[in-house]
Amino acid sequence: MSRFQAQTTASLDEELADLRERLGLRENQRADLLRELAGLSSWVIRQAEAGRRIEARRGREVETLRSPAVERLRRKRAESVVGRIELTDAEVERLAEILDRGFSPSPALRQALSRLAVSKRRPPRLRWKDTTA
Amino acid sequence: MPLRIEVMGRHHRALLEDFHNQHPSLVDYLRRFALRHAEKDLLARTFLAIDGAAGEERLAGYFTLATASVERTAVDSIESLTRLPGFPIPAVLLARLAVEDRVQGQGLGRYLFEEALGLTLQLARSGPVAFRLFVTDAIDEAAARFYERFGFSRLTGEFPCRMVLDLKPLLGERGQ
Repeated sequence: MSRFQAQTTASLDEELADLRERLGLRENQRADLLRELAGLSSWVIRQAEAGRRIEARRGREVETLRSPAVERLRRKRAESVVGRIELTDAEVERLAEILDRGFSPSPALRQALSRLAVSKRRPPRLRWKDTTA
Repeated sequence: MPLRIEVMGRHHRALLEDFHNQHPSLVDYLRRFALRHAEKDLLARTFLAIDGAAGEERLAGYFTLATASVERTAVDSIESLTRLPGFPIPAVLLARLAVEDRVQGQGLGRYLFEEALGLTLQLARSGPVAFRLFVTDAIDEAAARFYERFGFSRLTGEFPCRMVLDLKPLLGERGQ
């Protein structure tokens, strides 16, 4: 077990040293390296939590990020149907503003309400494109 | 047969495999969890838009509704907010809304949203319980703008962005 850990640590150190060099950081800037990596990972995790696909694109080339961790986050996001929504104080204040303001429906909402008042709404006629995006 | 909306059931399974959307989580939810949430766990109900106009039935989109309770993380009161209804505030959650990639841009998203709004208003007006808010989580900026057109307001600046629509003004006298 300890040999496995030593090997893992050594290979991890090697990968980190490689990343440090590629990011233009010096040997004594290990903390800066971890900060940079945490920032990048945090962005990736946020996108996965939001249910987005993470892709690298150049011209027609598309490479999708594949990782077990990202897959777990995507699955978690896909499965959840939130029943309890907890608001922070800032969100509560925003909600109070929304509930306090007078009723001034947007044109789209007015149209939606008037269409809903008609007993026979007509659904759109769809034209199917041949290929998926 | 023109487009129709049906409550999702086991007999729709064959339609699910050919559903495509740019957001994998919206496809995953439909294929893996929507039926279980509707029939086994009773957490949410999914409505399918089925297009049979070309002779063959195809799934063009779906939306999922669930009930939700809006609560505060903090328990201390905010004095300036006396007009706010007491927490928890009952809500209907538009948990998912997705349109098949091959029929985007033809008004189906709007049609599905109107269906969801219609069902929610019907429940809030004449159902056995009251609901004050219609809530959704916009997956990206385009979705947030779509909901804003219908009067939803953003509670946060991040994505997924929690958005709310106050149902009270839409309920007429019975909602006062």
